[in-house]
Amino acid sequence: MLDLHGYGPRLLEGAGVTLQLALLSLLLAVVLGLITASAKMSRNWFAHRIATLYTTVIRGVPDLVLMMLLFFGGQIGVNMITDWLYYQFDIDIFININEFIAGVVTIGLIFGAYMGETFRGAFMAVDNGQIEAGKAYGMSNSLVFRRVRFPQMMRHALPGLSNNWMVLLKTTALVSVIGLSDMVRVASEASKATREPFTFMIVVAIIYLLIASVSEWLFARLQKRYNIGYGEAD
Amino acid sequence: MAATPIPLEVRNIKKRFGDTEVLKGLSLQANKGDVITLIGASGSGKSTFLRCMNLLEQPDEGDLYVHGEEVRFKTTRRGREPADWKQVVQMRAKLSMVFQSFNLWAHMTLLENIIEAPIHVLGKPKKEAIEHARALLERVGLTARADAYPAQMSGGQQQRGAIARALAMDPEVMLFDEPTSALDPELVGDVLKVMHGLAEEGRTMVVVTHEMSFARDVSSQVIYLHEGMVEEAGPPEEMIGNPQSPRLQQFLAPKY
Repeated sequence: MLDLHGYGPRLLEGAGVTLQLALLSLLLAVVLGLITASAKMSRNWFAHRIATLYTTVIRGVPDLVLMMLLFFGGQIGVNMITDWLYYQFDIDIFININEFIAGVVTIGLIFGAYMGETFRGAFMAVDNGQIEAGKAYGMSNSLVFRRVRFPQMMRHALPGLSNNWMVLLKTTALVSVIGLSDMVRVASEASKATREPFTFMIVVAIIYLLIASVSEWLFARLQKRYNIGYGEAD
Repeated sequence: MAATPIPLEVRNIKKRFGDTEVLKGLSLQANKGDVITLIGASGSGKSTFLRCMNLLEQPDEGDLYVHGEEVRFKTTRRGREPADWKQVVQMRAKLSMVFQSFNLWAHMTLLENIIEAPIHVLGKPKKEAIEHARALLERVGLTARADAYPAQMSGGQQQRGAIARALAMDPEVMLFDEPTSALDPELVGDVLKVMHGLAEEGRTMVVVTHEMSFARDVSSQVIYLHEGMVEEAGPPEEMIGNPQSPRLQQFLAPKY
C-alpha cells in the first residue's frame, strides 16, 4: 500500500475542493452556454455580437492566462471600484477576491463559451416541426422551450456536454496556481515535503480517473434517458 | 339574443415571401359545423393560407377573427406582427392543427402527447386529461399504442394519434394541413375514416388536401386556389361535379 505520510486527509479535502469547484463551474458554464446559444440564435444584432465576442475571446486565449488575468486583474479592478466608492461616497469597504469563487467564475466563463457552441448546434438539430406543433397547440415560447426544445436538444447536446465536462474537470487543476488548495496543490506540496512525487501524483491521477469514470456512467444514463423515443434505447 | 360567434373568419389575407406574392387577398369564413376543403396544385398557396390562420406564418395584410375576437396586429421595422402574443397563444389553443408530417413530440409516448397541451396550456387536471385521452385513443383505434413512442408507430397510426391530440384540446376549429400526403396509400383510408367521422359529428374543419373523394363526399365548401387567388369556390357537387373554370377542369381531369 502507498504510504501517504499522513497527507491522506488533506488530499481527500483537496479532492472535495476539486469536485465542488468542478460542479459549480459546470453549473455556471451550462447557464452561460444556454444564454450564449440563445443570443447567437436570436435576431437581436447586439446580443449576437456580444455572444460572438465572448466565444472568440475565450476560445482564443489560453485557460491559464485567462485565469491569472481574471484573478489578479480582477483584484485590481475591484480595488479600483472600492477606492472610487471611498473617495466619492466615503464608503469604506475592502473586498478580497476569494480564490474559490475566482476559480469557479473563470472556469465557468471558459467553458460557458464551449457549451454555447455545443448547445447552439444541439438546438439547431431539433426538428422545426416539433416546435411548430408546440406553438400550434397554444404553448408560449417559454413552455415550448421547457417541454419540447430543451428535452429534445439535450439528446444532441449530451455527447458534447460530457466531453466538455471531462476537459473542465481536468482544467480545475489549474486553480492551484492562484493558491486554491485543490488536490493537485496538496499533492504537489506533499511531493516537495516528502520528495516522493510519484506516490502523490499517482493518487491524484487515480482520483481524477475515478471521478471521470463515475461521470461517464452518469452521462451514459442521461443519454439513455434523453434518447427515449428515438429507437436507440428503451 | 346574441348570435353564436363565428368560429373562424379571415379576410383579405396577403402574404409575400421576398418578391413573390404567394397569397393575393384570400378570405374564408368557417361557420360552426362547416368542413371547408382547400384544393389546388403545389405552390398555389393553400398550405401557407392555412398556416396564416393560426399565425404559424405572419400575413402581411388581412384580418383574422377567432370565435368572433379580432386578432390585433402592429407594424414594426421587421414587418407586421401580432400586437399581443398572449392573445395569439390563447387563439391558437382554440385551433388545433394536424400536420402533414404528424409532428407528434418524439420524446413523449402517444398518451403523453395527447395530454401535454390540455394539462400545460388549458390547465386541465392530469387525471381528467388522461381519461379524455384514453377515450380519444379508443375512438381513433389506438388504445393498444398508448405507451408507444411516435418512432415505434406507423405513419397512419401517428397521424390518427395526432388527430386524437388535436381533439383533446376541444378545439373550436381543426386545421388539417395535407394530413394524408405523407402516408403510404394503404394507410390513407384509416385516417380519412377518422376525419369523416369528425365531419359527421359536426366539427368545424378547414382541410388542405389532395384527396378529391374526401373533398367531394365530406366538405360543405370547396375552395380551389390558383397562384394565391381563389379561382373557384362553391359546394362540392358543383365544384367537382361541374367545374366552371378551365383551370379547375384541368386540375380535376384524370392525369393518365
